[in-house]
Amino acid sequence: MNKELEHSFVEQLKKHQNIVHKVCRLYTNNADAHNDLFQEITIQLWRAYPKFRGDSKFSTWMYRVGLNTAITLYRKSKRRINTQEFDTVEFKIKAEEYDDTEEQQLKLLYKAVHQLNDIEKALVFLYLEDKDYREISGTLGISEVNARVKMNRVKKKLKTILNP
Amino acid sequence: MDELELLKKDWNKGASEFKNYSETEIQPMLHKKSSSIVKTLFYISIAEFVFWIFLNAFPYFVSDSYRKKLEVSYENPLFLVITVISLAVVFIFMYLLYKSHKLISSTDSSKQLMESILKTRKVVKYYVMFNLVLIFITVPLTLYFEYNQNLEFHDEILAMDSTQTLIFYIITVVTTGVLLLLFWLFYRLIYGILLKRLNRNYNELKKLEV
Repeated sequence: MNKELEHSFVEQLKKHQNIVHKVCRLYTNNADAHNDLFQEITIQLWRAYPKFRGDSKFSTWMYRVGLNTAITLYRKSKRRINTQEFDTVEFKIKAEEYDDTEEQQLKLLYKAVHQLNDIEKALVFLYLEDKDYREISGTLGISEVNARVKMNRVKKKLKTILNP
Repeated sequence: MDELELLKKDWNKGASEFKNYSETEIQPMLHKKSSSIVKTLFYISIAEFVFWIFLNAFPYFVSDSYRKKLEVSYENPLFLVITVISLAVVFIFMYLLYKSHKLISSTDSSKQLMESILKTRKVVKYYVMFNLVLIFITVPLTLYFEYNQNLEFHDEILAMDSTQTLIFYIITVVTTGVLLLLFWLFYRLIYGILLKRLNRNYNELKKLEV
C-alpha cells in the first residue's frame, strides 16, 4: 500500500515538478539554494500527501504546500551562505540600465521581483500562475479585498524599483 | 504595458530551462531529512523539557546529603505539593505541545500555518516561564526552611548584624534575578533568531487586516 502511494505521488510530482521549480526560482538566488528548497518542498509534499484527498487538483494543492514551505517552513541551510549568489540580488537598479528591448526589460523585472519580500513574492507568484483573487486569498489566508489591495501595492512597488 | 503582464508572458517559457527530475531521482528525495523550522522547534522544545527535568532531578541522584535533605523537606506538605504540581504541569505542557504540533499543517493557509507555529512556540514559552517563576518561589522558600531546620545556618544568620543580613538578602535576590534574566535572554535569543523570518512574514500578513 505504501509503495503504491509512493509510486503515485512520485508520478504526479514528476508531472507537475515545474510548479516547485518556479517557487524555487522566485525564492532563491543560486542553484544550490534552488535544489535545497526543491528537496524541502518535496519532503513537505510527501508528508502532506496522505491527507490529500483529491477534492482539489494535485497542482492546486502543490501551490499551497510549496509556498508555505518557501515562506514559513524552510530554514536556509548554512552552506547557502558560502555559495556565490546570482546577480539577481543587486539592490539598486540604475536608470541607465533600463533598456527598451524586451529581453533587457525582463531581466530587470526578474531582478525587481527578487527584491520583494516573501509575501509580495507569493502574491506575484500566484498572479503569474493565473490564479484568481479567491484562490490567492485562500492560499495566503487573507481576505479577497486585502489580496487585491496588496497586489496593487506590489505593482506600484515594482514600478518604483524599475523607475527610481 | 503592465510590468507583470510582460513577466507573465515569459514566466512559463522560462520553465523549460529547469532540470527535469526523473522518477528515480525524486523517489530518494522523499526520505531525506527535513530541515524545516517545525522540526527544529520540536527538537528545541524537547531539549527544553529534558533540561528542566534534568536540572530538577540531577542533584537528587548525585548528592547524598541533598537527597537526605530532600527527604526531610518532603515531610513538609508544602514541598510535596509544589513537587506534585510541577510534575503535573510538565505532563500538561507535554500534552499541549504534542497537540499543537499535531495542528501544524502545511496544507493550511499561510496565515493559519504561521499561527499554529507561533502557538506551539507559546506553549514552550509558558513552560519556561513557569520554571522561572518556580525557581523564584523556591529560592526564598528553601532559605526559609533552611533557617528553621538547619541549625548551623540558623546560627550564622543570627550572628549577622543588620547590615550583614541586608547584604545577604540583597545578594540572594540579585543573584536569583540575574540568573533568571540570563535564562530569559538566552531563551529569547534562540527563539528570536529562529523565528525572525516567520514573525516578519506573519506581521506582513497581519498588517493587511488593519
